[in-house]
Amino acid sequence: MSDLRSTIENAARPRRKWPWLAGGIAVVLVAGIVFAVTRGGRDADASAGDGGPVRGGTLEFALLDFQRSPDPHWGGNYAESIVSNNIADKLVWQDPDTGEITPWLAESWDYNADLTRFTFHLREDVTFSDGTPFDSAVVKANYDQFIRGDEKLGILPNGARLFPGYLGTDTPDPYTAVLRFEKPLASALQAASITSNQQPVILALSTLKLSADERTDPKKVIGTGPFVYESWEQQVKTVLVKRAGYNWSPPALHHQGEAYLDRVVFNTIPEASVRTGSLVSGTVDATLDVGTTDEQPLRDQGFKVIYRGVSGSAIRFDFNTSLFPTNDLAVRKAIQRGWNRETVEKTVLTGSYSIATSILEPSVPGYADYSGSVLKYDPDGAKRLLDEAGWVPGADGIREKDGKKLVVKLLGINNLVVNKPAYESIQQDLKQIGIDLQLTVVPIPDNTALRAKAKTDWNISAANSSRNDPSVLSLSYSPLLGNGSWLEEGTPAYDRAVAVLPKLETTLDPATRARYAKEGQDLVLDELALTNPVYNPSQVIAHADDVHGIVFDAQSRNHFVDTWKSAGR
Amino acid sequence: MLRYAALKVGRAAFVVWAAFTLTFVLLFVIPADPVDLLFDPAELNTVPPEVREQIADSYGFNEPVVVQYLDRLGHALRGDFGTSVQSGRSVSAAIADVLPHTLLLSAGALVLAVLIAFGIALVATSTRHPWLRNLVESLPTASVSVPVFLSGILFLQIFSFGLGWFPSFGDQGWRSLVLPLVTLAIPVSGPIAQLLVRSFAAELGAGYVTTSWAKGATRARIIVGDVFRNASLPALTIAGITFGNLVAGSVIIETVFARKGIGRMTQTAINTLDTPLVQGVVVFVAASFALINLIVDLIYPLLDPRLRAIIPAAAA
Repeated sequence: MSDLRSTIENAARPRRKWPWLAGGIAVVLVAGIVFAVTRGGRDADASAGDGGPVRGGTLEFALLDFQRSPDPHWGGNYAESIVSNNIADKLVWQDPDTGEITPWLAESWDYNADLTRFTFHLREDVTFSDGTPFDSAVVKANYDQFIRGDEKLGILPNGARLFPGYLGTDTPDPYTAVLRFEKPLASALQAASITSNQQPVILALSTLKLSADERTDPKKVIGTGPFVYESWEQQVKTVLVKRAGYNWSPPALHHQGEAYLDRVVFNTIPEASVRTGSLVSGTVDATLDVGTTDEQPLRDQGFKVIYRGVSGSAIRFDFNTSLFPTNDLAVRKAIQRGWNRETVEKTVLTGSYSIATSILEPSVPGYADYSGSVLKYDPDGAKRLLDEAGWVPGADGIREKDGKKLVVKLLGINNLVVNKPAYESIQQDLKQIGIDLQLTVVPIPDNTALRAKAKTDWNISAANSSRNDPSVLSLSYSPLLGNGSWLEEGTPAYDRAVAVLPKLETTLDPATRARYAKEGQDLVLDELALTNPVYNPSQVIAHADDVHGIVFDAQSRNHFVDTWKSAGR
Repeated sequence: MLRYAALKVGRAAFVVWAAFTLTFVLLFVIPADPVDLLFDPAELNTVPPEVREQIADSYGFNEPVVVQYLDRLGHALRGDFGTSVQSGRSVSAAIADVLPHTLLLSAGALVLAVLIAFGIALVATSTRHPWLRNLVESLPTASVSVPVFLSGILFLQIFSFGLGWFPSFGDQGWRSLVLPLVTLAIPVSGPIAQLLVRSFAAELGAGYVTTSWAKGATRARIIVGDVFRNASLPALTIAGITFGNLVAGSVIIETVFARKGIGRMTQTAINTLDTPLVQGVVVFVAASFALINLIVDLIYPLLDPRLRAIIPAAAA
């Protein structure tokens, strides 16, 4: 624009006020921002009187997931299972500390000797929030639909996986329900208590008649739980209000009567820094899905951090026994011994997580400790095993046998932040003993896509199972069920697994079951070395110190019936 | 004119059909099965085959590909995209539910972006300080370079967690709209501002400006009266691109600010391979794209007399 006009314009001296004004505004803005950022943090709540529970108040709870449908039989994510646990009840409650199955809507139960018939004796004082009574006909209708689905209503067979071989439910009288199965199913009792993924909560008959689409109206989803739906807004929040007259929380929780809180609001906040920021600024009272790096800073600011390991199996490397080179027992054992647990514990995990000492998480009944034997860092032992099996170090340090390199390909999921760094630490250690572990750690949909070729393409699939029962052993590794290690029919290993693992489904006697669980762990970890457990994941909640009584159940989902706030607001 | 319109409408319809078909093909060649994603990955092998069959049947995934395609296309023509695999809701209802929230966000952000863009262009053209002009002219580039998730989180830290002026998540009337609007408007304003600054500068050097100047018009009078009108027209052309930016930005904005919306729904649908939902959203977005470009194409000749002369000639 160096035309005549501009030249004339620019010849005149500009006024001088402007830069000062602009500069002044900039300084004020920066100062304001700095002040705002440093000021953050809520004022200490002085009224933290540690007296008894206070009634009333609203708990604002933040979490990552949202409920895709208010139907409790459907949902599998954390938001779905936690909300389900608070609006509806189940027949039995598993004590999170002892793993024992205790009464809830069923006062007592018995079963036949071969564990194909489970008779539940129901409480008689329970009602649904619409006033209709709870009885054996309701139990039958729930289990039938949960396990078989209903094609006309668009209801999927959500519970089929928990209750294989379900024949039906008999109702000899209004308060007795008998579940019948084709084959012995010891895990059916724990399955009736399960609080994770799709779960057998009891819904009113009026709800069961609705189609999947109609169940997206939360007001029509009726349970017997301590809370009832007030509203459900997909992607944003679910609001529950106290159920008046509730008086049947699991006796093991030692909670009498209604919930303490008036309302619970489940706020979906996908972004981690926004969850912690909202907690710190006081917008929410508690948040789930606390990142590992946020735990300590939150503690330092006076927030309480509570956690519980996700019961079931550890995050583990399941070896593919039908694919080279993990078809070699020596390779599998060398991997178990070849990585330094201490490094992972110190550099990757926080205090809420723990290194796996068995395939089972310590709270699972029948857990045994292998940290001193199979699951111990022993690089020399690992090298010796490989030497003896004929694996010789190649030019680049990676071992070879018959001209083929010791390359182990792993497929994992990056849904938990510590997965990848933990695997990378193992990768480095294994390189030292001559194993080239190649990692493919991807989001769930990609993982599911790649898993289609698990048998032929991947030596290791990394995953965990959330179920607080030793039956995860047979579910995951029995060739007749999950067959996570791809044992091939006709091999001695296959026969051994078939002989040992299914026994877990044949007894509920604690001592015998513990023995079978030990045999199963021996087989899976030592004898056949089907898996390399890595660490036990945790569910971590950070909450303000005026919040009390958030319950972690046996599957580490949360219950708010016993939760209260000091101020009662 | 009629022929011109018919041609443009036909082209728009083709784009929508192509989007439908392409999504179908893409979702079909992905080796993963949407049914698998209904289960815990570790428990996949324990799902009995007959259960898997039953679920696949209920969504029609077991039909031959061609039958599935024609069936879906037939339903789609009637506005029925089937049922979401993950929630059991009808796809059209799910989209209709979240759409108003995204529309409000995008429309608001667009208005704000246009205001910012014109503001930048006006300041850059009218200022007589080279340093201010240089500063303002570098703003569009800067605004596109800062990722939305970063600016969003920064705004939240300052105005929500720090000052407590605005809520950090959820939907609480206009107050929860302010931060997302600003965050989304900034990158969207970039290309518009860039274009406006250029065309303002070009117009300012045009002959008629010199004429006005010579006749004694003030600087403000020239910019507002003459330049503004002539320089705004090109901005309309990039409406399509702007729409794309808005949609892309809304995915991140809706995630950072935990807002309900079509962007976040799409992300979830893709993550869970919710085939019917993904297809419904893609077709919807393609249709909106086509519609906007169609409107621009049809409006242009009304605004620019020169085009009115060319169209009959080209159509003949």
